[in-house]
This record gives sequence, structure tokens and C-alpha cells, in this order.
Amino acid sequence: MAPNLRLNAVAFISPQNHPILIRTFAKQDEHSIKYHYIAHTSLDVIEERVSAAGKATECYLGLLYAMEDVAVYGYITPLKVKIVLALALSDSVVRDVEITMIFKALHMTYYSAISNPFLKLNPPTDAAHDHSPYLLVGSPKWKNFRMRVDEISRVVGNTPNAVSNP
Amino acid sequence: MSARNSLQMAPSISANPSVPANLAALADPPTRHIDAAVMDYFLIELVNTLRESSAVATARSKKVEQEMVEAGLIPPPVAVSSAPPAKKESARDSVTSPNSRNTAKAAVLDEEEEAVRVRLEAIGLHVGANFTERLCRDRPMFSETLDAIKFICKDIWAACWDKQVDNLRTNHRGIYVLQDNAFKPISRLSSWEGRAEAVKRARLYVAMPAGIIRGALSRLGFHGAVVPEVASLPQCTFQVKLPKGT
Repeated sequence: MAPNLRLNAVAFISPQNHPILIRTFAKQDEHSIKYHYIAHTSLDVIEERVSAAGKATECYLGLLYAMEDVAVYGYITPLKVKIVLALALSDSVVRDVEITMIFKALHMTYYSAISNPFLKLNPPTDAAHDHSPYLLVGSPKWKNFRMRVDEISRVVGNTPNAVSNP
Repeated sequence: MSARNSLQMAPSISANPSVPANLAALADPPTRHIDAAVMDYFLIELVNTLRESSAVATARSKKVEQEMVEAGLIPPPVAVSSAPPAKKESARDSVTSPNSRNTAKAAVLDEEEEAVRVRLEAIGLHVGANFTERLCRDRPMFSETLDAIKFICKDIWAACWDKQVDNLRTNHRGIYVLQDNAFKPISRLSSWEGRAEAVKRARLYVAMPAGIIRGALSRLGFHGAVVPEVASLPQCTFQVKLPKGT
């Protein structure tokens, strides 16, 4: 595959709509805060699509919208974790199957990272809610997660100059 | 539970030539397998090991508590049976009467069992939640609560315990009863002290499966209570209480 897909940013959002990880790969020194904004607006579009689709929704949501120079694709897991992908707009044809593969790989890395039993060694007494690990993504324990996301972007054909934005 | 995740770059022949092999391997990692008998032994031993470990932990915390009591930092613990309150030691050490000693001993055993049960359930919570993430990868979203419960009955049961749930009943108001006539973790339990004793001990072994179910439900978004019951080996029922409105 010719590396004509340039990943600009990846964002993971929790079921409670808190950001888990937002990682940008833009080579230029753009304001990476722009991708926080993109992830935020994607939330609205995703909700709209999910409620419109009714009973039988597929996980892959396809192209959500396109902004100035990025095309934004969305994916929602059955557990309501949303993954948002921002690709640089280009004239070449972008196949759905490639994007779906990328999303599945991202879902896998998220799953590997979250399965680590050492993330919260002292479980809270209220063991019913376990969304607290999401808030610690900046800490060193999540380094593997970030490394794996970088690897995916490298495999897709980018240079490994990643700017992290947890 | 025999499938595990792997991040190795296995040379896979991608069906689609436009997708690089590396990406395909990352997206769909090859499953690693583990011997099923080893898994069964491990789970059985897990309960025994945790019992020892939690006994040590409880003893340690009681020792600290005792030291603090002696130093006068905290008031002495309330006696659990009818021992005279003037005694500083807890009722476990009282020798007033064999009756009170028996109930005190039963209280101690229950407390220890409770500690092990809580640990097992916490482990189950974690395993269930993460396993649900893995199993949900290739399926579309859930349309309603009953769908999620059916997913648990079929996919999780088949993945963890090699069969599906035998009976699912609901009262359509948030209570589901899952019945399994030959539940794998307790199917090989027996006790030389007789059937009743075996049933009592089996309660500890179903604590982790109850935790797995609860963890899976909570990751799906339903926070409820799961109560396991063992009426007779190897039959087991789980009562799931989901909050109103779902």
C-alpha cells in the first residue's frame, strides 16, 4: 500500500464522554489543540448518528464530517467507547476497509492497555463503577498504550514524530 | 478464557492486498491458547491461595488494630457475642461458655470467608469487564437490556465455561435469573464431610464467576447486583438485579 494515508490524530473518548487519550501526529507545528476541538465536535455527530440509526447500529460509523484539511472518521464500540480518527485530506481514494482495519487495531491497543491489572492497585470501595482509570492516562503506567498507538500510526505510513497530547 | 491477545507481528496472509500485513496483524492479533485443564486447576487453587493470603492480611490488620487499642488510640472493638464488655480482648478469646465460643468462632469464619469473597469478586469484576471488551469487538451494538443479558448468557458463558446458560428467566422488571445445571467451576467439587458441607464450601468458588458477570454488566453500562446461589452441586443460579428504568 502506498503510504498516502496520513494520520493526523487519534482520539479515544470514554462512555461518559470524557477524553481518554488524544494523540496527534502532525509534522507541522500546528496548534494541536485543534484536535481536541475536532474530537469534541465529533461527539455531537456521533450521538446524532447513533440515535438516528435506532436499533441496529454498526460499530464503524464512517466519515463523520470533513473540515478544512482533515477528514474525520468515527467508530463506537458496543461498550460506548468512541474512537475518532482525523486523516489529512487527499485526492486519492480512501477505502473503507483500510479505515476499518485501523479502527480495529486501535480498539485492540485500547483493550490491551485497559486489561492491565496493575492500573488501579487499590480498588475503590465502591467497586461498581470502574471508570476512574480513564482519568490517569497521562501517567507513566499508560506509556505502553501511547507506544502502541504510535506503532499503528507508523505502520500506516507516517514518520514517528509524534506529539503527545494526553 | 483460552484466548489471549498478542502483539507479535505474525506473518499473516492478508486477504486484501491493499492492507499491509502488519496492520492486519495488529487489527486481528493471533490468539494464544492455554491448556484447559491447567486453567481449571489454576482457578481451584486460586481460591485456596487467596484464602491463605487474606488470612495473613486480616491477621496483620488485626495486629495493628490490637496495638492501637493497647496504645489507647482507638476504643476496644465491640464484642460480637455475649462476652462481658469489660474484657479488652475481642470475644474470640473469651471462654465464658462453649455456646458463645461457637457462635464467635462462626463469626470469625464468616468474616474471613467474606474477606476472601470480596477479593475474588474484585478479581472477577476486572476480568469480566475486560473480557467483555475483547468479546465485543466484532459485533454490532446492543439494542436493549435483554440483548445484553443474552450476550452474557451465550458469549461469556461459552467463552469462560464452555457451554451456554441452561435457563434464563425474567420478571420483566429488572430481575433476571440465570440457571446453569452443570456449572463448570463447581462441577468437580466434593467434600468428605458430606453434601451439605460441599454446598457450603462451593459458595466461595462461585464468588469469582459472580464477579465476572457483574464486571461484564458494569462495563456494558448496567450497574446492578449479582447474587449467586448453589442449591445442590453442580447446579447454580445467578440472580441479577438491574436498577429500574432499564
